[in-house]
Amino acid sequence: MRIGIVFLAATLACAWAQDIKMPVGLEKLSAKAEESVDVTLDGNLLQLAGKFLSDKDADEAQAKKLIGGLKSIMVRSFTFSKEGEYNPADYEAFRAQLQPPAWSRIVGATSKRDGDNSEVYLKVGEGSQIGGLVVIAAEPKELTIVSIAGSIQPEDIVKLGGQFGIPKLDLQQKKAGPKKEREDE
Amino acid sequence: MSGFEDELREALRREEPPEGFVGRVMARIQSREQAADGPETSGPWGRLSAAFRAPRLRWATACAAVALLVGGLEYRAQRMERAEGERARRQVMLALRITGSKLRLAQARVRRIGYAPVER
Repeated sequence: MRIGIVFLAATLACAWAQDIKMPVGLEKLSAKAEESVDVTLDGNLLQLAGKFLSDKDADEAQAKKLIGGLKSIMVRSFTFSKEGEYNPADYEAFRAQLQPPAWSRIVGATSKRDGDNSEVYLKVGEGSQIGGLVVIAAEPKELTIVSIAGSIQPEDIVKLGGQFGIPKLDLQQKKAGPKKEREDE
Repeated sequence: MSGFEDELREALRREEPPEGFVGRVMARIQSREQAADGPETSGPWGRLSAAFRAPRLRWATACAAVALLVGGLEYRAQRMERAEGERARRQVMLALRITGSKLRLAQARVRRIGYAPVER
């Protein structure tokens, strides 16, 4: 029994500490895509970028502050010329990594009518901090996956409201009841 | 008259050169030719090149060359770091803009569906 508990705790600890990885299958989509964006920035590159971000430009100053506590940023975005070029299974391996208790889905909006799906996940960090952010935006002709790892202060995200087009997220309600899944139709 | 002729003949008598005379003359000629071919020490260029042949200046030249090389490599490394940093900066801004637009899209969809935007 004790061994089982220890094993479970170790497994959970590993899952907690594990970084999110982009599935290999996702990279194949760039061959089909009309346009693709591939951004991978590790801690060293983020530090380097921080040196070159201007303090005078409001967006860059905010970005500089935000990336200070980050470990990595990964963005994969594919734009296709026609619908049906990708399959939800292509990003399912990625989504499978976002399991509770480490990850919480805070937004899940699916529209069967429009054929699009938006999901936002947050990783629970130390104290009131967020340890990571994942955004999956699947549209008929576009698929975007964003993974930001590292320490993010909730107020930093709130301050980003209006900048970079990021909406203000109501993170003050984190003590609210259980999350709901939202599905259209 | 014959006495004078005898004296003249005696004075103009063919005489064999001393031993090694030819060798010494050839050696002298060769050394002069070498001196003429070598760097000129007269004139400004000659003096300058002669100055660089001095041991101290030779070391100073070597040190300056090394400093120039190190400086060049450092400058190249800084240029590469700057290029990499600028590329990273652009990527950070692009990544945050994409993140922002997709968060806005998610929020718009949630609003359209008619639920409260966020909860944990």
